[in-house]
This record gives sequence, C-alpha cells and structure tokens, in this order.
Amino acid sequence: MVVINRGAHAEPGTSLEFKTGNWRSSECPTHIHAKAPCHAACPAGEDQQAWFAWLQEGHVEEAWRELVSANPLPGVTGRVCPHPCETACNRVSIDTPLAIHNVERWLGDEAVSKGWAYPVEAPAEDAPCVAIVGSGPGGLSAAYHCLRNGLRAEIFEALPEAGGLLRSAIPPTRLPRPALDAEIGRLLALPGITLNLRSKLGRDVLLDELKHSHAAVILSPGCGESKEWNVDGAVPTDLHEGLHLLREFMDHGQFPEARRVAVHGGGNTAIDLCRLMKRHGVEQVTLVTASALPGPDTDPNDLINVVPRELEEALEEGIEIVEHATVKRLIMKGSRVTGVEIVALKKLLGTDGRMHRIQFEGTERVVPVDMVIPCIGERVKADGLHNLLNRWHYLDAKDAWSRTDLDNIYAIGDSRGDRGTVAEAIGDGRLAVQAIAANLKGEADPQADDRPEMPAAGLNKVYFGAVKRTVPPKLPVGERTFEAEIEGDIGRLEALREATRCLSCGNCLACDNCWVMCPDNAVIKTAELAKDGSHYLFDLDYCKGCGICAQECPTGFIQMKEDTWHEGD
Amino acid sequence: MTTTDNTKRVARLAELREKFGRHPVEPQEKHYQGGSQRDRQPRFCGLESGHRACQGCGEALAARLVMECAGPDVMVANATGCLEVFTTPWPQTAWQVPWIHSLFENSAAVASGMEAAMKAKGKNTKILAFGGDGGTYDIGFQALSGMLERYHNILYVCYDNEAYMNTGIQRSSSTPHAASTTTSPAGAERMGKRHLKKDLLSIIAAHHIPYSASASVAYPADLQRKVRYAMGIEGPTFLVVHSPCPLGWKHDSHVTIEVARRAVECGLFPVVEVERGAVANVMPIREVRPVADYLGMQGRFGHLMDPNDPRAVEELTHLQALADYNISHYNLRGEGEDPADTAGITLVARDRAAGES
Repeated sequence: MVVINRGAHAEPGTSLEFKTGNWRSSECPTHIHAKAPCHAACPAGEDQQAWFAWLQEGHVEEAWRELVSANPLPGVTGRVCPHPCETACNRVSIDTPLAIHNVERWLGDEAVSKGWAYPVEAPAEDAPCVAIVGSGPGGLSAAYHCLRNGLRAEIFEALPEAGGLLRSAIPPTRLPRPALDAEIGRLLALPGITLNLRSKLGRDVLLDELKHSHAAVILSPGCGESKEWNVDGAVPTDLHEGLHLLREFMDHGQFPEARRVAVHGGGNTAIDLCRLMKRHGVEQVTLVTASALPGPDTDPNDLINVVPRELEEALEEGIEIVEHATVKRLIMKGSRVTGVEIVALKKLLGTDGRMHRIQFEGTERVVPVDMVIPCIGERVKADGLHNLLNRWHYLDAKDAWSRTDLDNIYAIGDSRGDRGTVAEAIGDGRLAVQAIAANLKGEADPQADDRPEMPAAGLNKVYFGAVKRTVPPKLPVGERTFEAEIEGDIGRLEALREATRCLSCGNCLACDNCWVMCPDNAVIKTAELAKDGSHYLFDLDYCKGCGICAQECPTGFIQMKEDTWHEGD
Repeated sequence: MTTTDNTKRVARLAELREKFGRHPVEPQEKHYQGGSQRDRQPRFCGLESGHRACQGCGEALAARLVMECAGPDVMVANATGCLEVFTTPWPQTAWQVPWIHSLFENSAAVASGMEAAMKAKGKNTKILAFGGDGGTYDIGFQALSGMLERYHNILYVCYDNEAYMNTGIQRSSSTPHAASTTTSPAGAERMGKRHLKKDLLSIIAAHHIPYSASASVAYPADLQRKVRYAMGIEGPTFLVVHSPCPLGWKHDSHVTIEVARRAVECGLFPVVEVERGAVANVMPIREVRPVADYLGMQGRFGHLMDPNDPRAVEELTHLQALADYNISHYNLRGEGEDPADTAGITLVARDRAAGES
C-alpha cells in the first residue's frame, strides 16, 4: 500500500478500488428469460417470440427452423389454428395482438416454395422404430419428432391418403389442398418415416402385433364417428350427421335437398358445414349453440370454440347463430322433421360444484326447418381398439406425455377426448415422442418448461409505440366458392413488418437501456453472447441495487430478485 | 522486446491491475484487446464506477452520459456540489480525465483559465465546466455570465436537481415553485417554496451565445446528441440537464428515469434548443400528462396531493398553469407522428441485420 499524503506526489487512485456493491440492501438485478405468453398459450409448443426475433433480424429461414423445431406443419396451422397465441399476446395492452397466424402461414408457404430442409437428420438404420396409428396432424407430428429424437417412425393409415381430418373435415376454402399436399408431402418424404396406406387397425394390423414389433406405439386415430344424438329419444329417419355430411360433400360436392336447415352444435365442423350449405344454396341456415358469441363480457370458458376468423366470415355470409340455446324438441310430420323447438340454456354451476346445462322454461320458440343436423362432436371409432376405449368412446391418456395404462402405448390428439385442435394434436405428438426417446435411453421424463410467464404488467410499455396490425386480403362474400381460399397471403413485406410489432416479452432485445441508464456503470456490454442469451452482464461489485435497469427494461428481462452475491464473488 | 522484458511487463501490469482494479493502458498499445469485460466495452467511460453517488442518482447518470460523448480529449472544471463530492473521495477519483475543483462559485472562471492555458499551449483539448443548480443558478452565476460574455470555447453543463442536495436539500433558485425543502418546508405557513424556478435558459440565451439547450436523463439519445453538437461548436455553449435526486425529491431510486420522463411529458421541464437567442428546436410531447402524474411521484410535492386542502389545490393548479404556459410558450404540442417527439425518441426495437441468411 502506497501511503499518500496531502501535497505529496500521489499515484492516481481510481474509485474502482471502492466496491459499491455492498451498498445493495436486499435485491439485485437478474436476467430472467420468462415465457412469452404466446409460447405459454401454444398447444403445439411453438415459441413464437423466438421465431419473431429471427424475423426481426431479417433471418427468415432461421425463423422457420425455429418454428418447425416444435411444429412441422406451419402452413397448415397458420390456416386452421384458432391461435390462442394471439388471444394471449401482450400487445393487446397497447393496441391489437400480432397477426401470428398470418405470419406463420407465410413462413410455412415460403419454406415449401424455397425448399428449405427440415432441421432433422436421417436416423440410424438400426434405430428403434415407433409405430404410429393414423396420419392426421398428431401422427405426422409424432413421426417428425421421432426423427428429431433419432428414432424411426412407421405410420399406419386406413385411408388411401395421409392427412386425417385435415383432408377429410377441413374445407379447401380454409386449407387448400395444394398447400396441404405440399407440406405433408415434404414431411413424409423425410428419410426414416415409412407410410403404410390402406392399413387399417384391426383388419390389416393388430395392436398386439405392433406392441411386439415396434419400440412403442402411438395411437392417433382421431375421432371418426359422430356422437349419438337424439332429442328425447326422437331421431328423424333421414338423419344426417355433420361430420358425415361434410365428408360426403368434400368427396362428391352434394348435399341432400333442403331449404331451411338447423345445425345443432358449436365447433368448427358446425361452422364449416353451415357456410358450405349456405354457399351451396340453402336459403336459411341457423346454428343453435349452447356457447356464447364473443363479446366484451364473454367468459372464455363459455366462448364458442371456433377459429375467430371463421366465425366472423360466417356472420358476414349471413349464417344466423342462436347462442345460449339448445334443441328441445323436434316437430315431426310422420318421421320427417318440419321444425325445431329451441330453448334458452346456460352452463351454470350447480349445488354439487359441477357445471350443468340449465334450460330456461318459458323461452321456447319454434323454427320451421326441413332438416336438422347434429354437430355435437365426435368420438373414436372402435375398430381394433375395443379394449382400450372408455365409456365415452375415447382413449384414456393419463399424463402430459399421453401414456395409456398399457406399457409403451400412447394415445394422442382428438382420440384423448380432452383435445380438439390441430395444434394440440401436434403438441401431443412431440411430447409423446420425447417421453418415448427418454424411456428408450433409460432416462427420466423430459422436464416440462415451468418458467413463469411474462404478464403485460411486467413490460415497460413506454418503449413501444402503437403499430397497425396487418390486414390480410380476403375474398368478398359474393366471390367465395367451394375451392378458392378465402383469406389471402400477406406477403414478405407485411410479414416482416408485422414481426417488428413483437414486444419480445421476457426476452432481451438488446436495446441498451440497462447499459445506458445505469448511474454506476454496473451494466457491462459484451461482444460475446452470455449464457442467458443477452449481451449484458451485471457487475455486482459496483451495482448499488437502485433498480433503474429493471424498471426501464422494456421486455421484463431484468427483474429485481433476492441478492445472493457476496463480496469477492 | 525480449521475452524477459515481456514477462516483467505482464507481471507489472498484473500488479497494477490488482492494486487499481483497472489496467493502465500503455501509450504504445493503441488497440489493447486484453483486459476485463469492463475495459472492452464499446464506449469511453470518463466517469468510472465506485463513485459514492446515492442509489438511482440522476446526476451521476447524466455526468457519465455527457463524458461518454465529450471525452476523452477533455478537461473538466467542477464546482462544489454532489458531483464533486461523490466522484472524488480522497485519495480516489472516478474521473478518467484531468479534473479540477477549486470553489463553489468559480468553476466557470477556472474553466476560462484552463481554456486560455490550452490556447496558449496550442492544444485543442476542449474544456468542460460542470456545476449543480446551486453552483450555476445561484453561486456561480456571475462567473458563468462572465465566461459566456468573454466567449470562451467551453461547454458548461449544469446538472439540475433543483436544490442544494449535497448540503441537505436547501432550496435554490432552481427549486420549483411549491416544492418542499429543508429551507422552504411545507407547513402551516407556506406550501413549500414561495418563489418560482428561475428561467435560466432565457438568461443564458440573452448572452447571444451560439448554443444553449435543456435535456433530460430520461432521453439519453437526445442528451448525447446535444453534447456532440455543442462539442463541435467553437465558442461558449451551455446545457442544463434535468437530473432527479431520489433523496431530495423523495421518490424511490428505481423510478429516477420515470420521474424525469414525466417532468418532460407534463410540460414542467421543456426540452428545447436555443441558438443565438432564438428557439431552434423543441422536443414535442405527443400525449401531454397532467402535472399531478409527475408531482404525485415525489415526496417533495406530497403536500399538494390533498384534494380537500384548498391551499394544496391552489398550488397544484398553479403548477399546472406553469406547465401549460411552457407548452404554449415553446409550442410543445407535437402534431402528427414525429420521430423526435418524447415517445418516438425512446422507442426500442431489435436491430435488424442488413442481409437475410
């Protein structure tokens, strides 16, 4: 130690010798990469924030690769998904949510047209093979994730074409067949996936055989059978079920003759059917649903479960929707329907603590119709699965990895009974395969992502301006046919512009606010990327714990947390 | 250089680094790539860590921002005040440039002498003079006026935290109307300071100097642009930086920036540029806030927040009228989208790389 006296020649002593870090009283700034709400809400497990970040940097192919690390069918989900990600988007607190589905669809189409290779490698020749029953979105996702986990996949499909309900139940106006074929075709062409068409479970293959010949079996048969429907025991003789009618129409382009139709149900099948019938020339189409239409006070649990865009288009096209109602009685002439009696109904909490559908006496009214079509949901077709079905005709899956009671047999997608979207099936496929891969290696189940979610209140919205959401082109009502896709492509410029609206919730976007606004130079900017994904370090030797960085961080990536630092660390 | 020499040099460097926490860069090493993460940062750090400013100090932040784009070829004359005290606790200094402190009232005069000396030596080193609002609005005012009149090539920066914070929060001529300080306490007799905040910028502008401006720590990009602009001017320039003081203003340390931002957004602290006495540029406010949003965050205005006290209501209304006057006087209401407005200048975005991979 040099002794310095006043007036003597002094060596310059820098204040860096004095560590102000021990001034912190309780908390210190911490980098926390919280989940963006879009990611948390995505049943397929996509991290939208991550791929929007790539887009913001102009790296389109990387964005697509990030996207397909979870969901191999962005061109499909971008068109058919009810996008819970957009509902969850924090930008709602500033203006309107990001048009995530439009950008996702554009990325999917871009990958097809540019021929970008899926981020998978061919599995080893002797890699274990997983049997997958059904080639719907769940089965396809499972097969793809087998490759990502170094496994081979063999798909068994009863029909002559792959695609499951994407092909049989979704109209081309929503999902044009060329787009579907291109994406599925690219996926199935990956080395390591074998597809057996016209191989029906129970007829061509047996579950018991698959159990022995393959490392694991994933059942994704979907729901191919309509639930039984009657009104107090009455069923018209010429009853047509919704899903059946939809399939017939997609195959033959015909509906049975009718002038006035009532559709009973509240899902995408019901809405698709209503719109097709209206376009086909049915004068009056009435949808009777127990759920509610979206409104400012609608309880999300009570909301009609359809893609919001589809609902909007249906109303545009003149479909009459009767919400909070059910069909109470069929008015028959002989065995033909001439009208339906509709009664108001609501799902209410009963004294037993469960939700009940309560009909309100005195609200009955009669709507004259020629045909009534039930669209109240589907269940698993029993073929080859008799022993596995529960009393509601679904497969019981007992955990997040979709295990059934039988060893090495997994049940995913719609067949679980607690699912209902393409995205959920895709997510199930990924998780089941991850569990299978871990099992085969003798490891424990993969860790679920239990990071906390970043709420809108955690952002500093001062740093984000309002930017208009992109509006995709749309066919006018008069020009809608049975083939042409109704919602158009937003194109590259709009997709990249839309990406700039992403708030990067919970993730560093390198704005430099912490670095610029620290009064103590305790934030250090680095050229190297730190482990937490940022270019900033906290120098806790000097940080006084004022909290400015956490307050001014636009994305909530910096939070004040309990101080565990000790001098000299 | 032999290997032994090199080893010795490295050992000596390590020794010094151990002692001072920072390596002394050898003059011959122009592009020193070693050192700690701290040393490799892409900015000049004229005011280093380890200074003794309070948590969340707006003045420490402002001074660092100024030094960042003024340095390294500068010398500083510093008036007495917080900045002087917390940066130079003997025998240490946080300054990485030559720095002189003499008295409270004479930083402008000392700077004038330094400038004359540099001129005599034929050097281009720019002289900065720093002072708080006490050393600028009150005690050093006539020295400052003389410096401006003599047309020295100096940038004078006033860190305005609106009271004598170093000595214990006494009111200065910069303290806003109705703020409570230890010498203008709010109570039965008075609602805080009775007088108005001195309009220093207009007085400075009356010296007909090339450039004077106000800035705020809430808008670092704007502040630094003004410093760079002033550094490029041959002649006297003046900058007043609104710097919240968590201790004296009585707000939490983490809202320093938010408080400063609201001061601008409500119109009480207009951010303007004056060239040769004429207003050349203002930062427009897109959405004007009521002054209560700004005042309500601070304990020094706490006595104004009681809606049942007629005296409080009167003073609050008075402050709102002062803000409204500023807005109309400087025409601060921006029209349409403007990248230089209060919101536009702070918007953040992930940098977009030029090419697509």
